[in-house]
Amino acid sequence: MSTTDLGMPGIGPLQSAAPYPLRLVLNWGRRYSLWVFNFGLACCAIEFIAASTSRHDFIRLGVIPFAHGPRQADLMIVSGTVTDKMAPAVRRLYAQMAEPKYVISFGACSNSGGPYWDSYCVTKGVDQIIPVDVYVPGCPPRPESLLQAIVKLQEKIAGENLGRRYRRSGGTPVSAAAATRPLVAPDGDGGPSSRSTSRRARRVVSEAAVPRRQTTSVLPSAPPPAAPVQAMTLRPHTPQTAEDTVVDMPAPVPPNAGPETKEGPR
Amino acid sequence: MEQRPAVPGDTGETERRDKSGFGLGMVKGLATTARTFFRPTHTQEYPDVKPHLPPRNRGVIALVEENCTVCMLCSRECPDWCIYIDSHKETLPATTEGGRERQRNVLDRYAIDFSLCMYCGICVEVCPFDALHWSPEFEYAEFDVRDLVHERDRLHQWSASVLPPPPPDPAAPPPKEIAAAEKAAAKAAAAASAQGGPTDKPGEGRTK
Amino acid sequence: MSKAWQTPRVDSASSTLDVGIGAGGLATADMVLNIGPQHPATHGVLRLRLVVDGEKIVSAEPVVGYMHRGAEKLFEVRDYRQIIVLANRHDWLSAFANELGVVLATEQLLGMEVPERAVWIRTLLAELNRVLSHLMFLGSYPLELGALTPVFYAFREREELQSVLEELSGGRLHYMFNRVGGLKQDVPAGWTLRTLDAIKAVRRRMPDLENLLTDNEIVKARTVDVGVLSRDLAAAYGVSGPIARASGLDVDLRRDEPYLAYGELFAPGGPGRVPVRKHGDCYDRLVVLIEQVRVSLDLAEACVEKLRSLPAGPVNVRLPKVLKVPEGHVYRWTENPLGLNGYYLVSRGDKVPWRLKLRSASFNNVQVLTRMLPGQLMSDMVSIMGSMFFVVGDVDK
Repeated sequence: MSTTDLGMPGIGPLQSAAPYPLRLVLNWGRRYSLWVFNFGLACCAIEFIAASTSRHDFIRLGVIPFAHGPRQADLMIVSGTVTDKMAPAVRRLYAQMAEPKYVISFGACSNSGGPYWDSYCVTKGVDQIIPVDVYVPGCPPRPESLLQAIVKLQEKIAGENLGRRYRRSGGTPVSAAAATRPLVAPDGDGGPSSRSTSRRARRVVSEAAVPRRQTTSVLPSAPPPAAPVQAMTLRPHTPQTAEDTVVDMPAPVPPNAGPETKEGPR
Repeated sequence: MEQRPAVPGDTGETERRDKSGFGLGMVKGLATTARTFFRPTHTQEYPDVKPHLPPRNRGVIALVEENCTVCMLCSRECPDWCIYIDSHKETLPATTEGGRERQRNVLDRYAIDFSLCMYCGICVEVCPFDALHWSPEFEYAEFDVRDLVHERDRLHQWSASVLPPPPPDPAAPPPKEIAAAEKAAAKAAAAASAQGGPTDKPGEGRTK
Repeated sequence: MSKAWQTPRVDSASSTLDVGIGAGGLATADMVLNIGPQHPATHGVLRLRLVVDGEKIVSAEPVVGYMHRGAEKLFEVRDYRQIIVLANRHDWLSAFANELGVVLATEQLLGMEVPERAVWIRTLLAELNRVLSHLMFLGSYPLELGALTPVFYAFREREELQSVLEELSGGRLHYMFNRVGGLKQDVPAGWTLRTLDAIKAVRRRMPDLENLLTDNEIVKARTVDVGVLSRDLAAAYGVSGPIARASGLDVDLRRDEPYLAYGELFAPGGPGRVPVRKHGDCYDRLVVLIEQVRVSLDLAEACVEKLRSLPAGPVNVRLPKVLKVPEGHVYRWTENPLGLNGYYLVSRGDKVPWRLKLRSASFNNVQVLTRMLPGQLMSDMVSIMGSMFFVVGDVDK
């Protein structure tokens, strides 16, 4: 399969240089007129449709369904399992959306692979291929969860600075050829592979390692395993703040650059 | 298989398929929508109106830490392996003279990764000590997926919103604890009456 | 919409590619058109690779696998309670029916007898789930035809039934309520009355939905005599469910090989009926679906009445701490809302299945598109695809 180099996301110079009062107005307009790109993949799509029908009705919040295509959409709600076969299509469609664009990951499968995280053909979370703004937990989440996530996204947009969100500093664009790589073999002792692309150490498992994945030991907690090298990942977000999501992608780090300290959850 | 007759009562089949109507079918549809137009809506305007959630609703899992004995059954039975438990053993000195030292499991870390959780409830079902409960809270979407791993303190906070279970159907068998208690009471009464002398039969102290 | 326009390829059936200004005759070439995998009309991630000659479809090939999650492989490392919660996600519109097939297969291998209360509650939930699944298609199929209103009506009825099921199991879409030997818990007090109310409310509002669909001239113009699936073709491809019954293939496991409480419900004089039509076009498929909703509502009501009259009893069987199923294999099939779903369970005596193969109805239903679509116009393609009532998770598992 040939690879296509997709352009880097970006916005024009006027948007980046807008003064604060103008930004306020623009953010207000942008957050209350989100056209959503129906990206229903699996069961969560049913709850997405339920959120668009009369009982819950996200049109009240300004989110309009049935955008005529990715080009005319602002918001992409990835609902359902992203399989490895579908992942290139997701990436391509995300790239076809025009900036500024937002992504809500709806449901466990698109957050992190969900119930299928140990499958051989599932992408462990759509944030492996596109940057996500809001994650909605649930399997499937309630339609009201989606409404809450939209409100949260709207609050995030209210406070954001598009210039900072799409700045080009901090890394060179990665060519598509560099972004593909062969399968990695796990280490002999079953520990997390040092060449894993997953952000969290525990996600890479071979089948044999599945039952012993968890640190359910009765011994005093062993020091956390060395984190996998963060190659081809997005810059980590600062947790718990509605800060801008930074969308640029750092250059790939060579695989044997040594372990980084694992950022534990909070 | 031989052809069974069509559903009785559907005699107008051929006429129904006739495409050349006078637009009466569309008029019927328009009349329906016009009628619905004047009925009140059933939209529940979410951020202002919270939904009514039944007690068994699977919103989030709450941990009642005092009940947890770190048996790790929940972690083992989870189909996604999304419960992370760390613990260590502590020895307590003997309470009586010449008694035995006791070993106790102490919970260090209890976390549920809600980005993986499939909300099946097997952990809640399997916990022998009622340390895990369902809570109907669902408003915990996050900006960062790592915040979806809820640690002990956050799981403990959810226990404030756990609703009591609904009363069971009258035709359901009574819960195990009640059945066991009634059996024990009956056995005690039988033993007391066997020992001698008529005694008062313990009444049905428990309604279903 | 992501349609990849590929280089036109010259088909030997059409005239040679002799393009030039002023060239004599009209030079045409067939075009390969990809519908999907992301497309508003594909009901999920089904990709259709069409070769079209102008507006006419020359050949069609469904490319499946975009939702393949490897569930059958995951079953091999999960025990008999965990496979239930995983198995209900392949046909996500009728989750209860999927779980049911798995537990029925396991119970057959174990030789387990399920308490009567559990049997009736299971039948009730299966029928309610059937109504939910059919209502979903009754909402989304007209949406593809261009009728925007029925989806709101259909989803309102769905919400009504989903609130009843949520009160019972805790979930709106994935119930995970079956266990080997019965159900997870018993019903709450008053639930049976609320279920009856919900069934009655849905039945009362069904005519609203039908008024928008069955007599509407536009719907009829787009569906009558469009996408005819002959009975022999349906039988040859193993098409099952309401689609097959609309083509005259009269197979319904609830009547022909009853399981759960269907033997009693489909006995003569019972509320069970099997709607069958003979034309096999899109309109018949739609009509069969509407009829099945009515039948299922009747069946559900009969189940509730029976449940209320049953004596007190348990709703599950006490299982050992570690459930090991004896060696053997069994094939168990059920009449799911989309068709016949089969569960082939092979056990080697462990606490996890050795192999659990799923035969899914949508897989066959989608295969027959290769025979149905050629010769149709592009504008009818959406109508035909929508009327095939498949769920992509069921196709790909």
